[in-house]
Parts: sequence; structure tokens; C-alpha cells
Amino acid sequence: MQIKFWGARGSIATPLTNTELTAKIQAAVKRSINVELSTDKKVSEFVKNLPVHIRQTVGGETACIEIRTDRCLLILDAGTGIRRLGMDLLDRFAGQPIDAHILMTHTHWDHISGIPFFVPGMNPDNHFTFYSPFDDLKERLKLQQRYEYFPAPLPATYKFVRLKEQKTLKIGDLSIQTLPLNHPSGSYSYRIDSNDTSVVYATDSEYQNLSVESMKPFIDFFQNAELLIFDAQYTMLENIEKENWGHSNVFTGIDMALKAGVKKLAFIHHEPAYDDEKLWDILQKAREYLKINKPESKLELDLAVEGLTITL
Amino acid sequence: MKITEQITDNITIINLDGRLDAHTCESVEAFFREKMENGQYKFVMNMENVEFIDSAGLRVVLVVARDLRNKHKGDLHFALLQPAVSRVFEISGLNNVLYIYNNSENAVQGFSS
Repeated sequence: MQIKFWGARGSIATPLTNTELTAKIQAAVKRSINVELSTDKKVSEFVKNLPVHIRQTVGGETACIEIRTDRCLLILDAGTGIRRLGMDLLDRFAGQPIDAHILMTHTHWDHISGIPFFVPGMNPDNHFTFYSPFDDLKERLKLQQRYEYFPAPLPATYKFVRLKEQKTLKIGDLSIQTLPLNHPSGSYSYRIDSNDTSVVYATDSEYQNLSVESMKPFIDFFQNAELLIFDAQYTMLENIEKENWGHSNVFTGIDMALKAGVKKLAFIHHEPAYDDEKLWDILQKAREYLKINKPESKLELDLAVEGLTITL
Repeated sequence: MKITEQITDNITIINLDGRLDAHTCESVEAFFREKMENGQYKFVMNMENVEFIDSAGLRVVLVVARDLRNKHKGDLHFALLQPAVSRVFEISGLNNVLYIYNNSENAVQGFSS
């Protein structure tokens, strides 16, 4: 199973600004003073060794994740990241029909706003099926493409399947389950199991009562997942200040992952107000927290970064 | 989690003994809520015997401190944080918003300064 992040930002698309780009270049140039960089190889090595927040960006596209197996193409959410995924699919399929299944967590803008720009959807030879537990998903997405908002309507070829909670959906070699999360107007987590691995996508969720009993349904759902993709938009303090805004933090994610026996934890839905340095600092703090509270743990922590591919 | 209390100058010193985590957060919060209902709004949490705190514990102390400040003009001060707990307070940013002292006496005096 291959998982690729096409968008990991929360709330609203957040392109890198010129000021941020200039700061990265200046920081890199400063570090290059007195470094011998006479060959391409030496330059590559120098860049590779720069701090990650200088040489990379978390990215500004909103939620979109691609999951590929030998038999299936799944897309989780259709934020702005799905536009680039669409272009990539056109290249990869090179004119062959595309058949993909799109699981929607909810319909807040940052999870749907890429749909009008998803070019493969405009070709009726391609097949796209949308899934969610919402009974009016099609109407919601049609509304987004009313003529007042976008010149083309939602493609009539899109199919919609309403999921039932506690029922397992089979797509190819995958079993898919869903669980409601705590988010304004609702959001759903997805657990995707293949024969040999599993991934859980749990974005846009707030956990207010962190007692063992209250967390049990979530811990059960996350149980032994190879990869948990977890909403960590806020810091611990912001989670209290922004109560009922429907998001979580890295520390809660770590504790839940530990209890559930998760192997890898990827933080997603990054706060648009945070730059790359801040986001990688949050990851460092998360790693230190894990080391203090569970030094023997082998749980791997990472940021969901645009372009990151994880093979399970 | 063992919880004991003593009152000094109208300030309640809470002595915790155990882990402040998902197993104990509800009982600790319930303890504070009961005290608040009885009109006690100024607390010192003696953390000398708390060697572990997780996100559930962090959330409870933040929520209790917030409610004491916002609803009752009270507060929750901390004393004698153990090294691991102290570092978790720093990492999570709690040390920026909570008053932390090196002993209970100073934490009590902190209410008069």
C-alpha cells in the first residue's frame, strides 16, 4: 500500500510567501559561507544537510491523500491538493480510463474545494465514486458548483455511495470502516485495511474528555494501525482556547497512538498561521514528549508533508 | 491517584500522589469541581509526588486553571514539579500560562503578589 500526501494544510490553502521563501534562501546562504561548494555533488550534499525547515516546506494545499494498492486507487478528501493529484493521474494513466474511489470526511471548504479543479473528473470515460456517511453529499457538492460560484456544474458522471456506520465497505482488496468524530457539523474517520496492513485517517476531530472510558471507541478504531494520520492543528494551549473548534494536538495524538499500538503517526491539518519552522519545531517537541513519557516506544512520528510518500 | 488537601490562608493546597493521566484525569477534575462548588477558588497543586503527566493530565490542569480564572477570579498555582513533568510543561507551553513555584509556600505567597 502506498500513501501519498497531496495536501496537508488545515482550514485554508496557504501558499509559501515571497518573504518566507527569501528567509529560507538567506538562511541557506548564511550557512554556506566558508563551505566549499565547487561541484554539483557538494551543493547537493550541502542542501541535504540543511535543517529540514529551510530545505523543505510542509506545503499549502489542503487535505488530499492518495492510497494505492495493486488493485485500488483511493482518494481521501478533495481539498485543493486534489488538483495536482488530478494532473498526476492524467500523466500516469496516459489516456487510459481512471477508476478511483473518493472517501470524504466532511464537507468543510478545505476538504472539498479542489473538486471543481479536478480535471480527470471532466472526462466521462473516467469513473469516480464518492463515499461518505452523509445522506446529502451529492447536493452539497453540487451547491459548491452552482453557476454563481463556478462556471461548470458538478460532473453528472460522478457516483455517490452513502456509507453506513459500523458496516464494512469492500473495495477491491480493501476493507473500509468509518467512525464519527467530534467536529462542528460532523466529520468521519476512515480505517482502511488490506490483507497485510492498515491505515487510519482521523482528521478534523477534537477530544475533550481524554479519560480511558471516553477514548475507548477511538482507541478500538485505531487499534494496531500501521499508520495513523491524525489532526494536530493546534498546540495544547490553543486546544483549550479554541474549544469546540474541532481539532486536536500532537500530544493527544501520541497518547492515543500509544494506547492503540499504532506503528507510525503522521500529523496533518497544519495550522495556516504556522510557518515551516514552527511546524517542524512542534514535531521536535512531540518527539521529545514521546521520549520522556515512553522512552522504550518504537512509535514513529512525522509531519504529513506535501509530496511525502509512505509505503506500508 | 491519592489526593489530600490542606487549607492555608484561604488557599487550598492539593497534594497529588501518582500519575496524572487518562486513568486519573476524571477523578482529579471532579475533585476540583467539587471544591469550586463549595466556593474554593484558589489552589496550589503540590506535584512533588507526580512523576508522570500525559495529555489528559495537561488538559485537566489547563481547563481547571482557565475556569478558575475566567469564572471565579481564582487560580491554580503549581509547586515542586518533578524534572520529567517540568519538561513536559515546557514542551507543551503550559509554563507560559501557569504559575510554577519551587515550593508550596512560595506558591501560596504567589496569590498575594
